[in-house]
Amino acid sequence: MKKIFLVLLAVVLITGCAPQAAPTAAGELVKIRLPVGYIPNIQFAPLYVAMEKGYYRDAGLDVTLDYSVETDGVALVGADNLQFSVASGEQVVLARAQGLPVTYVLCWYQQYPVGVASSPKEGIKTPADLKGKKIGIPGLYGASYIGFQALLDAGGLTESDVTLDSIGYNQVEALKAGQEQAAVIYVTNEPVQLDASGFPVDVLRVADYLQLVGNGLITNETTLKDHPDLVRKMTAATLKGMQDALDNPDEAYQISTKYVEGLDKSDPVVQKKILALSMELWKAPKLGYSDEKAWENMQQLLLKMGQIKQPQDLSKVYSNEYLP
Amino acid sequence: MDGKKKTHRGAAHFLPRPGGWLALASLLLPLVVWQVLSSMPGMTAFILPSPLRVAVRFGEMLADGSLLRHTGYTLVEVLLGLALGSTLATFTGYALARSHLLERMLSPYLVASQAVPVVAIAPLLVIWFGPGLFSKVLICALIVFFPVLVNTVVGLRAVPQNLRDLMVALRASQAQILWNLEIPAALPVLLGGLRIGATLSVIGAVVGEFVGSDRGLGFLVNVGRGRYDTAMVFVAIITLILMALMLYGGAILVEKRLLRWEA
Repeated sequence: MKKIFLVLLAVVLITGCAPQAAPTAAGELVKIRLPVGYIPNIQFAPLYVAMEKGYYRDAGLDVTLDYSVETDGVALVGADNLQFSVASGEQVVLARAQGLPVTYVLCWYQQYPVGVASSPKEGIKTPADLKGKKIGIPGLYGASYIGFQALLDAGGLTESDVTLDSIGYNQVEALKAGQEQAAVIYVTNEPVQLDASGFPVDVLRVADYLQLVGNGLITNETTLKDHPDLVRKMTAATLKGMQDALDNPDEAYQISTKYVEGLDKSDPVVQKKILALSMELWKAPKLGYSDEKAWENMQQLLLKMGQIKQPQDLSKVYSNEYLP
Repeated sequence: MDGKKKTHRGAAHFLPRPGGWLALASLLLPLVVWQVLSSMPGMTAFILPSPLRVAVRFGEMLADGSLLRHTGYTLVEVLLGLALGSTLATFTGYALARSHLLERMLSPYLVASQAVPVVAIAPLLVIWFGPGLFSKVLICALIVFFPVLVNTVVGLRAVPQNLRDLMVALRASQAQILWNLEIPAALPVLLGGLRIGATLSVIGAVVGEFVGSDRGLGFLVNVGRGRYDTAMVFVAIITLILMALMLYGGAILVEKRLLRWEA
């Protein structure tokens, strides 16, 4: 029995408390495993560019991407098993409310990428038109749900005014099959695919009604305290990749084909359009900077939805101090 | 029949029944280890919540009615899936046990179907049959089907040939052989399959709820993860375990009742 306990103890010590963030001796690259929260996709072009052109390596970082689920990435950073992750703004507030010491240090998506797509014959032109509709959503959690609530709120509606079906990531199929009248989607992705398959859609964009915080780079308080330079290097190299992709979208697409399996077989017109639409959401007067108003909106929305009980200290939720 | 009887009884109780103090220890020891682990330095509630914290969350969710509602929904899926899967499996199993030709034709497909991870096809089933109750029941039925089928075939094949010959010699009809010999003789093994199916069905329901659902215990796990509320994930998982134990116990009760003649 004692042995079993010791084994368990050892497992916990090794997995739970091993220092992961420590940079190695000068000259050696710091290994960074970066969860991005989605499958390999053209939208991660800035990361692929920064990897391919050696921006990370020049900053002393050896970055590999991890395509696991967003919440797992946030939890791993919160537990200090990883230094960085890509996550949407609301995840940071939700995680902090549960005591995860995570901080958002680079705002990648300045505009919230969620929206509602529907066939033009449904006549959904404003959020108020959602009333009485049957709407598919991946699940009642995550960015899709938060964004959808923001749209309902903008239309003066509540969840009881619509029929909401949790359909997983099957929005394209559900809309085309007529199972749903509308679906909650990522504005840069599903509408382009639907359009290309001969099913044009109207899109209500959350970003047109409420400014929220989209995907960005997060880290934890331990890394911020012990290795602030590492955070600065990471944000600088990532921003360099972003700027480079914005300046040379065609080259960014070409580079991405090396990292996204099957991208070279997909329709380049569609994929380039997804990239172009994504880029529109990144643009800002100062690339990567978080806007205070967007964070306040996010906090208010989450409080109103009952997803958090207490307001969080926004000065700990995000920081612009680690940007170049 | 004496030798047979013993194996049947053995099959019905392959897990030893713990004595009073042993049962208490087996309940308490994991709790103590859990409490110690959760109070170790650096261990925060979102990594491993303490048993107390989980108990409090359990009470909260019980009080606001959410836990019962979601449990009820999952239980409906599980029971319907179990009924559908085991019924289909029993009929298919009977057909396979009777016909070697059919068995040779179908068995490659049946075995191959077991190589398909349910997690991988669950999203497809949700697309094909919609996000409602039916797709979840179907996923439960799929996961239950194979063990019940195998046990049905094994059970029926194990009916002693001399008894069969006796029935034939007495000019019993097919229906009489089935009713008076095959079903009673195969029942212990068949019910063993049902017991495995009952616990598997719980897994099926959760897999279905993970893909697309707005209720059920699998959905609660997802919500808990989405809010970084690890205690909520624990509450859902513990409830799932209790449900599986209850179904297992229920299957044993059914077994005892149906197999009273053996005693």
